[in-house]
Amino acid sequence: MENATPALFFAGIDIGSTMSKAVVVDAQGTMRGYVVGPTGAEHRRRANKVMEDVLRTAGITLDQVAYIISTGYGRVNVPFADKQVTELTCHAKGVASLFPEVRTAIDIGGQDAKVLKIKNGRLTDFLTNDKCAAGTGRFLEVAAETLGLGLNEMGRISLQSDTPVKINSLCTIFAQQEIISRLSEGQPLTDILAGVYIAVTTRVVKLARQIKVEPPVVFTGGVAKNSGMVKAMEVVLGIPVLIPQEPLITGALGAAILARDEAFKLVQDGHYKSEKKQLSEAYIEFTEKNERKM
Amino acid sequence: MSETATPAKTDQKRAINRLKSMYPLRNIVQQDYIDTLKASSEGKPTVWSMLNYWEGDLPLKAMGLNIVYPENYATLLAASGAAEPFLDASDSDGFPTHMCGYGRSTIGYSYRMMKEHGGKIPPDAPLGGMAKPALLLGSGIICDARFKWFQSLARYFDAPEWCLEMPMMATYEGSEPELEDYQVKFLVKELKDFISFLEKLFKQKMDWAKLEELIDLAVKIHETTSNISEARKAIPGPMHATDFWSSMPPSLFFAGDMKVALKCYQDMLAEVQERVKNKESGINYPERYRLIFAELPPWHSLKFFDKLAEMGWNFVFESFGYHNPKPPDLSKYSDPCEKLARLSRNFMFNVFPEAKAEGIQNPIVETYLKIARGFKADGFFMHPLISCRAASCSLRTVQHWEQEKLDIPSLWVEGDIIDKRVFNPQEVLARAEAFEQTMDHYRKVRKSKGLDW
Amino acid sequence: MVTATTKGLSRAHEIYANRGRRMRELRKSGKKIIGYICLYPPVEIITAMGMVPFRIFGDMSEPITAADRVSTTVVCPFLRSIIDLGIKGKFDFLDGAVGAHTCDIGMTTIIAWRDYIKDAPFTHLIDVPHTDHAPAVDYFEGQINFFKKHIEELAGEKLDQDKLKQACQLHNKQRKLVRELYDLRKSDPPKLTSMENLEVMVSLFSLPVEEGNELLEEVIKDVKERSIKSSQKKARLMVWGPVFDNTSLYELIESSGADVVVDDTCVGTRAFWADVKAPYDLHALAQRYLVDIKCPRTYRDTQHQETERDYDKDLDSRFSYIKKAVTDWHVNGVILQSVKYCDTHGYEVPNLRHYLDTLGIPSIYIEHDYSERSLAPIKTRVEAFVETLG
Repeated sequence: MENATPALFFAGIDIGSTMSKAVVVDAQGTMRGYVVGPTGAEHRRRANKVMEDVLRTAGITLDQVAYIISTGYGRVNVPFADKQVTELTCHAKGVASLFPEVRTAIDIGGQDAKVLKIKNGRLTDFLTNDKCAAGTGRFLEVAAETLGLGLNEMGRISLQSDTPVKINSLCTIFAQQEIISRLSEGQPLTDILAGVYIAVTTRVVKLARQIKVEPPVVFTGGVAKNSGMVKAMEVVLGIPVLIPQEPLITGALGAAILARDEAFKLVQDGHYKSEKKQLSEAYIEFTEKNERKM
Repeated sequence: MSETATPAKTDQKRAINRLKSMYPLRNIVQQDYIDTLKASSEGKPTVWSMLNYWEGDLPLKAMGLNIVYPENYATLLAASGAAEPFLDASDSDGFPTHMCGYGRSTIGYSYRMMKEHGGKIPPDAPLGGMAKPALLLGSGIICDARFKWFQSLARYFDAPEWCLEMPMMATYEGSEPELEDYQVKFLVKELKDFISFLEKLFKQKMDWAKLEELIDLAVKIHETTSNISEARKAIPGPMHATDFWSSMPPSLFFAGDMKVALKCYQDMLAEVQERVKNKESGINYPERYRLIFAELPPWHSLKFFDKLAEMGWNFVFESFGYHNPKPPDLSKYSDPCEKLARLSRNFMFNVFPEAKAEGIQNPIVETYLKIARGFKADGFFMHPLISCRAASCSLRTVQHWEQEKLDIPSLWVEGDIIDKRVFNPQEVLARAEAFEQTMDHYRKVRKSKGLDW
Repeated sequence: MVTATTKGLSRAHEIYANRGRRMRELRKSGKKIIGYICLYPPVEIITAMGMVPFRIFGDMSEPITAADRVSTTVVCPFLRSIIDLGIKGKFDFLDGAVGAHTCDIGMTTIIAWRDYIKDAPFTHLIDVPHTDHAPAVDYFEGQINFFKKHIEELAGEKLDQDKLKQACQLHNKQRKLVRELYDLRKSDPPKLTSMENLEVMVSLFSLPVEEGNELLEEVIKDVKERSIKSSQKKARLMVWGPVFDNTSLYELIESSGADVVVDDTCVGTRAFWADVKAPYDLHALAQRYLVDIKCPRTYRDTQHQETERDYDKDLDSRFSYIKKAVTDWHVNGVILQSVKYCDTHGYEVPNLRHYLDTLGIPSIYIEHDYSERSLAPIKTRVEAFVETLG
């Protein structure tokens, strides 16, 4: 059974405000391919492109995909999706598939931040910040621009410090001024950078504390790849955090797994006709392997 | 900000010419905190009270109860830069962040005390903190937060809560002829219920003689403070707003021993009158502009006023909500509850007849018009607060009427009472320079209209 | 999904879209139109004086441009919207505007009206005490009496006690009919959507009481006879909070896969749940409005004069009517919504959510600024909330 090439796949597409991602999984929920790329202005065309790319990466064709779920800010612009599900539910699903014991997931995106509470693999509560740049990747971009540094460089340099400078401003624009003031006062760049990461993290953790941070904590989003950010997160939370290998794609991964679940549910409920023989077979194989009902 | 108890020498480099008599008054409230903590550690129950414009203060004091004012404590938190952890705690318990900074501080304090420190005072609380309450006394006067937030404290404390009532209305309805007696009747009934509740809760009887005595002292204190306010109208202004804010608790909520407070205020009156005689100013720089500050000060950044004083800006008067009006004549009333009701009610209603005569709807506007006229103000420093609606919402219409009736301009500076992160002093100083030109211009306009300032 | 629109609902839809139309007609025919803000001005008195009460709302689709010189931005956006519309002359069909000291900003709205809005020359502000203690009810009765005297001056005649009794009975009849309409939402699926329900509610606030009662009777008859397909929605929600007067919010929730089957808002149950009791005099009005209306602006002393206090008992005393609604309408989730800068509701949120937690009912809190623009970010959260219930 293990050696037979599965003919059936499921896809998740996450059109975020800055980045688009897509993931293909097989009936077992194993990832077979993923892509990440900038969203740009045209969501509809983006969706098509990203789908083509991920099919190519996975080495499959569209007719091998049984069900597609779209998520993210631009989820309504994926005309070929079978269903739309919010990125909150999808992230939770994706994170739980990688870390089954997870209780709290913190995601910091380019323009927003989310905190998810998860129990037994399901989303139970959440909070989002989509109003203020101060607790998002945008804050880091502004800081990087101000200092003329690359984002990764910024992270590396910040690691050299254990005495972060306190950055008080609630507002990204005021914080820019603060950074410049601290520099002109002669504060070391390493400390200022450490302070920048602490500032972003503190905003997000404040949000998280409103629904109680319970370990294990998983940290996702583009900024989770940044070492400076990870250190700050662990310092502010006071506990270690888990990071997926690809922290950007947990939404799309969750969408793909949900696509698999949805498809199997339809089979179980008897909604599919006999043309979906392959899907039915895949479902049977999956349930036998896992000895549980969907 | 650690300032010592003994008065500092008048230092020419210090921008504000602080009154010597301010320091003992400031000490009263600081000593009060220490005394109430000591009393509570000896087992005396503590009452947490809102500012209630004397309606509740005096009965509590007459029964010898230990009282703490979280609103005032919150200003200490702000002034000592210690507010943040308490604000964060309130946010983390799900309370919206736009709410009153005093409320957020208190909720945060209560949360940290009960949920993080097992009922003990948080170690970073300045001046020893506030003891756990045995009673929460809310007040309906001025704003809703002041009874709603105490209601929320049930999340942390089992202390019972009482909400003191006070009518609030527009000047038209508030000038109905039968209104005063009917309001007083209501307040007297409420006070009697409140006092019998206190007797039941603290298992002691009200000392009515003591209450009468305290009401008398209150009237004397308020007469003295309103005379100080009158004396401050001199040019140059003899007492800067910062001195007022430091010395107001013993008249605002009768902090400490009232006999001592009365003596201190009499000393202050004498000192202010002496300054008037010698034409001595409240700032150590020539008075170029006379400013009125509205409404609640930026407790976290009071040093900011030094910079403005260096520019010759004398804040000659401020914050109507912290000042008592001239007390009414209570001698013809025998029931202490009635005296109390009339004293308290007078805070807002004293200005209604004048407001109605001028066609002004909002009593706060009329109060500030009287102030502007009396103090010959050159400008208003309007400080609306992100978290305080009650003290901010009327400022726009005050600005409008000051301009309309008296050609007095206003500088609009946003901030918060507790959260210093939303106040930008650098930017304000830049605008202040430009505002001087505006004030100069309107001086000419007023002169041309026949006003004498 | 409810699809068939009935005669009554169509009429409600039209009235909702043009609230002032009937009032303008009535005014032309000589009737005086008295606008009122919030639930505390007693409409029975207005009706009994032969005038027509009209509830003043803001407009979520109108950007606020004129109110900035009157009030700061950090106040209730609903009330700011009212001032804005007033300055722009949108209330020119009103002969009067009555407000009440419902909350800090509510009080200053009528004060500002007098200074900045030219329309509705007759204005009155009713002081509402903060508590529901016995002396407060008496005081409030006195306030209602002052209002009565003032409106008698406008009318040029005294209030007739019989006419007041009749008015109370008419308004009570309306409340009873509304409760009947809400009963039709207990079924699964409910027989009308929350959008349709809101349009009917808003229509009631835009018609004289007898015409509102006629409309209700028609709507109830039609809705009872409707056949509804099963909607397969996985969530039956309750919405809680202050003024929620625009269908766009309900639409957003219902298009996220949920039915909203009941509410605790002042454009819904809060306005219609309690009746005025016999003998229908000023004291009965004071009792109904101050004590029986359940709004967070009133400090409910649930353990008044008690020296002990128990948090859970306190919460149950304050919110048990919500428990009843949740049970009777088979609700499995509650959306708490409020406008930014609302203190009276803001302080309730953690306490109410705690209470719902103890009942095992999931809840979410969303805050908006009473503008259509502020709805888009809410949609994702509402969808995600519904997804957690599914």
